[in-house]
Amino acid sequence: MTPEEVAARLVAVLGDDVTSEVAYGTATVDVPAPRWVEAVQAAIADEQVSATYFDWLSAVDELDEGFSVLVHLWSLTLHHHVLIRTRIPRDTAVLPTLTGVFRGASWHERETHEMFGIGFEGHAGLVPLLLPEGFEGHPLRKEFVLASRVAKPWPGAKEPGESDDGSPSRRRMLPPGVPEPGTWGPEASR
Amino acid sequence: MGVTSGSEPLLFAPATLPVISGGTVPPSGLEAPAPMRFVLNWGRRYSLWVFNFGLACCAIEFIASSMSQHDFIRLGVIPFAHGPRQADLMVVSGTVTDKMAPAVRRLYEQMPEPKYVISFGACSNCGGPYWDSYSVTKGVDQIIPVDVYVPGCPPRPEALLHGILKLQDKIAGERLPLRASEKSVRPSAAVFQRPFVSPPPQVPQHGAVRHRVHGLDQPIRLEVPAVEPPTESA
Repeated sequence: MTPEEVAARLVAVLGDDVTSEVAYGTATVDVPAPRWVEAVQAAIADEQVSATYFDWLSAVDELDEGFSVLVHLWSLTLHHHVLIRTRIPRDTAVLPTLTGVFRGASWHERETHEMFGIGFEGHAGLVPLLLPEGFEGHPLRKEFVLASRVAKPWPGAKEPGESDDGSPSRRRMLPPGVPEPGTWGPEASR
Repeated sequence: MGVTSGSEPLLFAPATLPVISGGTVPPSGLEAPAPMRFVLNWGRRYSLWVFNFGLACCAIEFIASSMSQHDFIRLGVIPFAHGPRQADLMVVSGTVTDKMAPAVRRLYEQMPEPKYVISFGACSNCGGPYWDSYSVTKGVDQIIPVDVYVPGCPPRPEALLHGILKLQDKIAGERLPLRASEKSVRPSAAVFQRPFVSPPPQVPQHGAVRHRVHGLDQPIRLEVPAVEPPTESA
């Protein structure tokens, strides 16, 4: 099926509170967070979609709008694919686990948990997978500050005409991802 | 470099000999006589069993320099040692992450003295393009002593050959007691060690679609059929 047909079929199966979009040849189906597992099961069980192969699961930090969690499914028999996406709020970032559907989702959920701080209810052990022990913070969240950028000047020129000596008239710019001093870290709590 | 007294080389250097450019002889009987030292260093520099710590794309260049085109065995670098315990030279080629760092350190500790390290490529020199990463160690020299740094991203195989020649020059002028005293101030591997990873807890059995996938996070059990004992009647 074409991406448009896959998206339309899943919307028809799942009902009214589900929307879809097609971009760059990929069907993306947005489902509400409580229907997360149900939507994935429907994509597997529906004979016209039959997306039985779990490819990956990850998340996107959408700042004030919370997190998007995505799972990519592929149909081995029908040779089409679909992204199922949901949105969860930032302060209560919890989703039901998909390990009951795909046991291989366990690693992906562990990685998403350590990188974004998203909880997966029902997962048997959300221990860190990739990060070293004792790592503090969730490095793929946008508020995570890279310490090297704070400690070390950005290599090369950030702006045209900028050089190492630095003209005094120019405002000194912060490297990307580093907030203003006093708004983060130990200074913010003072 | 030579130990000289007047113009004649000394066959047996006294333990208290206060010479050689830029250093003093440590007060020990370990110092070999100069000709013997030359022979030992000559042997060491041309039989470097190399242990490849290939961690990223630089390892491809390293492997290329071990192959017939560049063929570093003609310089006396022998590919490959069977493990760190048989190796003289470790080439760290690639991105060292904080997660990998204890393993690098542990394998370095397993190598017998005298041991040498070449840091190959920008990542293992200083972090390279990952200088601001949350997970990359900013240079392998933060965890183990490095003898030669080869710059490049990735370096050409010729750069590694140049680095090997530099290392051999260094070995040629080496005096083991000095080398040992340099090393002794470093912390032991226990600082970096952590306990072994325990297996994950059992995930409970799941529903109807469970048979569709095979979770790789669980150990795969091999079902071995029971072998019936041979019967006499056959």
